Amino acid sequence: MLCWEYPPRIIGGLARHVEGLSSALASLGNEVHVITLDFPGAPYEENRGTLHIHRVQVSVPAPSFHSWVLLFNHFFEKRAGQLAHEFGAPDILHIHDWLTVPAGVAAKHLFRVPLVMTFHSTEASRSSNSPSTESAMVEGLEWWGSFEAARVIAVSSWMRSEVLTRLRLPEGKVEQIPNAVEPLRFEGPVDSRVARARWNVREGQKMITAVGRLTSQKGFDDLIRAYPTIRRAVPESRLVIIGDGHMRAELESIAEQEHVRDNTTFAGFISDAELVAGLRSSDVVVVPSRFEPFGIIALEAMAAGVPLVVSRVGGLAEIVEDSVDGIEVEPHNPSAIAAATIRILSDRELATQLIARGEEKAKAYSWENVARRTIGVYQEAASVTKYE
Amino acid sequence: MSEGSRKLLSTLMVLGAQSQGKAISLEELATKLGTGVHELQRELDSLAKAGYAVMTRQDGRVKVYLTGTGVITASSAYS
Repeated sequence: MLCWEYPPRIIGGLARHVEGLSSALASLGNEVHVITLDFPGAPYEENRGTLHIHRVQVSVPAPSFHSWVLLFNHFFEKRAGQLAHEFGAPDILHIHDWLTVPAGVAAKHLFRVPLVMTFHSTEASRSSNSPSTESAMVEGLEWWGSFEAARVIAVSSWMRSEVLTRLRLPEGKVEQIPNAVEPLRFEGPVDSRVARARWNVREGQKMITAVGRLTSQKGFDDLIRAYPTIRRAVPESRLVIIGDGHMRAELESIAEQEHVRDNTTFAGFISDAELVAGLRSSDVVVVPSRFEPFGIIALEAMAAGVPLVVSRVGGLAEIVEDSVDGIEVEPHNPSAIAAATIRILSDRELATQLIARGEEKAKAYSWENVARRTIGVYQEAASVTKYE
Repeated sequence: MSEGSRKLLSTLMVLGAQSQGKAISLEELATKLGTGVHELQRELDSLAKAGYAVMTRQDGRVKVYLTGTGVITASSAYS
């Protein structure tokens, strides 16, 4: 499996997906090798039973991000070759998004094995508002990967439809397999007082939490703009935004303009254990994304037993059933975000119902199910891949 | 984050400066970015204060490398 992010290098849902899938595949008795990028403090080689993580250092400087991507693909190819020499050629190659297409395609032809590609997002949906000069290259790599792959996986129905339409793939080539959540992560004791104190949430205050990269896609500016209205209805509250990204200073500035900076915590990046403690200590989790191919945080909030407000977009709209296991709102609408959040914080009966149904739903999304379905896709890919 | 800071983080990532052993000198970085060392130092000071980068003195020169948070923040612009 080739991917540019794997914990502790967590940029988005892709890292969580590969972690959950690779662990579940290994638990089912498969030998899994993940080739990924190195990260400060993480070991270059990690072995967990039949799961092997190989973190690759890119030891040649690149002049730009996109040339760096092509460069790290060469280092991935080299590592794949070394592993084939050591363990034998793989039975299947699995790449994730455009970032590892060059290495995946090269390895496919070198080892003459089936290639599977998972789409977690597409360049067109990511950059719909501002396509860059590199977008054509990224879209080209997406097409190339999907063409070379024997089977393609999309993480939501919305993503599947996006891939089918944009890349003009045959219906039967693309399978929808969702992300999942590991419920055990959310079990065990959590000292909420410690977690809340860490982010300056006082006793008796409602903790409103949002988690994700601080980028415009996530819509955290809409949530901050909604917060003054929420505070008028629920004065004893604090907004905690977990994550980091290039929009941080801009979001802090919006919080200043909206006069809620003193009541908002920007928690930055935190460890997985802290995230679990943070979610379980929250009174509501808000996912105000403008675009979300899946939205794994929604499942995590459900598993953590926290009521949810989500934007009615992409995969989020597929995970959440409105007013049953969460509340959906129109994206880019601070008034709707405020109204839904206030509703949950003021109606204990509603919150209890959403939590119970959410916990039930989260159980249906298991990594073991994802792994079994992915193995089915691997078998299909093997059956249609023929080399002379 | 300013466009300059984003570019700076991205440049450090693609140059592979993510450990003390791979730290880049301010002079080298300034040359690559086409900017002055003093201007760069101000930008790096604020990135270091925010926890994205570490400034270190090696062989009598000021060098810089990304922290884990810096790597993720640099990558988040492209994900």
